[in-house]
Formats: sequence, structure tokens, C-alpha cells
Amino acid sequence: MGIRKFILAACISLWGSGALAGPLTIDIRPSAINPASAQMGDNLKFHTVIRNDGSGAIDGLIAWISLVQIDRGKEQPVDLEDWSAHKAIAKTSLRPGEIIETDWPIRLIQAGHYRVVVSAATRSGNVLISSPFADFSVLRKPVVESRRVLPVAGGLPLAIILFMYWRRRKRMRPALQQKH
Amino acid sequence: MNAILVLARKESGELLLSARGLIWLLAVSGALSAFALLLVSDTELSLLDNAQVVYDMIGIITALGALLALVVGTDALAGERERGSFMPLLLAPVSRGGILFGKLSGVTVAWAVMYALSLPYLWAVGSTGQNMVDGMIVLLVLGTPVVLAFGFFGLGLGCWASSTKNALLTGTVSLVLSASPLLLGPSLRQSAIGKIFDAINPFSAAINAFDAVIVDSQSMAMQAHHVLIACAWLLAAVGFAHFGFRRMYR
Repeated sequence: MGIRKFILAACISLWGSGALAGPLTIDIRPSAINPASAQMGDNLKFHTVIRNDGSGAIDGLIAWISLVQIDRGKEQPVDLEDWSAHKAIAKTSLRPGEIIETDWPIRLIQAGHYRVVVSAATRSGNVLISSPFADFSVLRKPVVESRRVLPVAGGLPLAIILFMYWRRRKRMRPALQQKH
Repeated sequence: MNAILVLARKESGELLLSARGLIWLLAVSGALSAFALLLVSDTELSLLDNAQVVYDMIGIITALGALLALVVGTDALAGERERGSFMPLLLAPVSRGGILFGKLSGVTVAWAVMYALSLPYLWAVGSTGQNMVDGMIVLLVLGTPVVLAFGFFGLGLGCWASSTKNALLTGTVSLVLSASPLLLGPSLRQSAIGKIFDAINPFSAAINAFDAVIVDSQSMAMQAHHVLIACAWLLAAVGFAHFGFRRMYR
């Protein structure tokens, strides 16, 4: 009896979610102009299509972009503040069959492996609607370049030491000449 | 040549050409090299950290510059007194104001050399990111009055204190206290005492301006109040050195 009640409750729950989430779909794909091998500092774009497949209008739609880092040991949600100025869209009403196409630009700040997802909520719905994940990787770009730092970090102290040596030799020369 | 210029040239030459002055410059250069190499070895830096790197480097340059100016300033008159060369200096055909001006110019040259020395380091760590040139400008505009204020303060301390050692100790403690915002986190500086300290401390004024210009990309024009605080302390330090010098030769 207990199992029957559980199955019944699960069915009602699934039916409820599907009914509310069903009409709205979100499709995401990377822009064709995205670099094949992205590195820090590059810009990527993701194109989403939000479609109302239902028979009634959907009111109060909000969609936003989320980013998570999935590198082993660094799994975390990413604060998009520095990555993107375009984080959300809103639509008062989405008529049946109507679509919203959006480009989501992202500036790549840190190296790693990431998954981007666009989620949507509506005024009356009680479930979150999400796009599939779009994955991308960001290659490391040296923030401080060793080929610039090493000559300066090694060269300047060495130049001062050489100057000191030259000054010392110059000062000692008359004394040495007198001695000889 | 004007006697004041001769004195200024002698003071500058002691830093640029004497073995002791060159060792100071070498120590400063070594410290900046060590910090730059630490940054190169950090593989976890993000693109945003580039501005932070420039900001950190400029903070270190200002602190080292203030330390160098403090040592040069303290030694300028107190050192003369301890070496027994202060009386002959007073007998030289140059006005008292001229002597003080010559000593102040020694501190100024020390900072000018230090600033010139720091530019290649700033280029090396900051040229791939944002606001490197703005950082160099804000270091010149804000770093200069702060560093010179400590140099002139050291010069005054050398006059007031009984020995060079005491003057140097007092000056170093004051510098560490003033430069503490470089080490303290923002949360500690948000307390009532921290805010008051920030409002009057010339070092805080400088690093707040560095942060605003380099990290937050604000314009230099918006840093006028920080410049005013630093310049007010510079004037106070000149006055302190002036009255100390008058007391010394009387």
C-alpha cells in the first residue's frame, strides 16, 4: 500500500512538472565565430532560442546565463560579474509559437573547463526550465610574461653591480698607476 | 656654480655614485626583482589579476621608496652631525635655507632614481594588462608627495632626535604604521578607527588612489582629495624639517 502511494505521488509530481515546464524550451549553441581554441582574453558567444511550444501565452519570463567551472578540485559556480555584462533577459509575455533569440557574450577571464547553461523562470511556473549544457575550455595565457620579467628582474640588479664594479675600478686606477 | 646647487649635486652624487648609495639601489632593485619573479611563478593568476599585479607592485615601490627616502633624509643632517661635518657645513658660504634645500633635493633625487628604476619592473609585469600607464602616472602624482613626505620627515627627525639611530627607529616605526593599509584587509579598515586612520593617513590616500585608478579604472581627476591629503602631509613634513633644522643650528 505504501509503495502504491509513493508511485502515485511520484506520478502526480512528474505530471505536474511536465505540464508547467513543457511549453517552454531552451536551445543553446556556441556561435559559429567562436575561436576553435579559446584562451584567456578571448570573447565567446552563445546563441539561445527560447520557444513557447504551448497553446497559451507565458507571462513574466526571465532567462539568465550561468557558468560553472568543472575542473577537478575546482568545481564551482563562476561569478559572472567580470565575465559578462549581459547576464539576463526579460519578456513580459511570450505568445504561443513565439521565440526569443539571444546572443550571450562572454569574456574569458580564467583558464579551465566550463559548462554554460541558460535557465528560465516564469511568473506562474513552479519549475526551472534549463537549456542543455554547452561546454568550453579556456587555455591559459600568461598574465605576467616571463620573457619580459626575467630580463628586467635579472638585468637591472646586474647592471647596478657592473656599475659598482666599474666605479670601483675607476676609483682604484690612479692608486694602482702610482704603485706601478 | 651656485653653492646650493653644489650641495644638491653632492647629495645626489652620494646616492648615485657612492658605494653605500649604490648598495641601497641594489637592495631596492633586488626586492622588486624578487617580487616580479614571484608573480611569474604564479600560474593561478586570472586576467583580472593583471591590474592587481600592477597595483601590488606600485604599493611595494611606494613603500620601498618611502623607506629609502626616510634613510636618506635621516642621514642627511643627523649623519653630518655624527660624522662631525655639520659645523664645517654651517661655515660653508651658503645660506641655512640653502643647506636645507640642498638636503631636501638629495631626498628628491633618491626618489627620482627609485621611480626611474621601478618603471622597467612595471612594464615587465603590467604591459599585458590594463592601466599600466595610468599606474605609472598615479605613482608619480601620489607616490611622490608620500615618499618625499617620509624623506623630509626623516630629515626633521634627524634634527630633533638625539642620535641617528633613534631618528631612524622612530621614522621606521612611523612608516610601518602608516603603510599598514598595504597589509590590512579592507574589512579591518572599515571599522570606525580604520576609517579615521584612512582619512588622515597619506599612505592610505595613495593606495586608495592606486586602487581606484589601476583596478577600478577611475580617472585621475577623481583622486584630487587623495592628492590634497598627501600634499598636506608633504607640507607638514617640510615644516617639520625646517623647524628641526633651525633648532639644530641654534
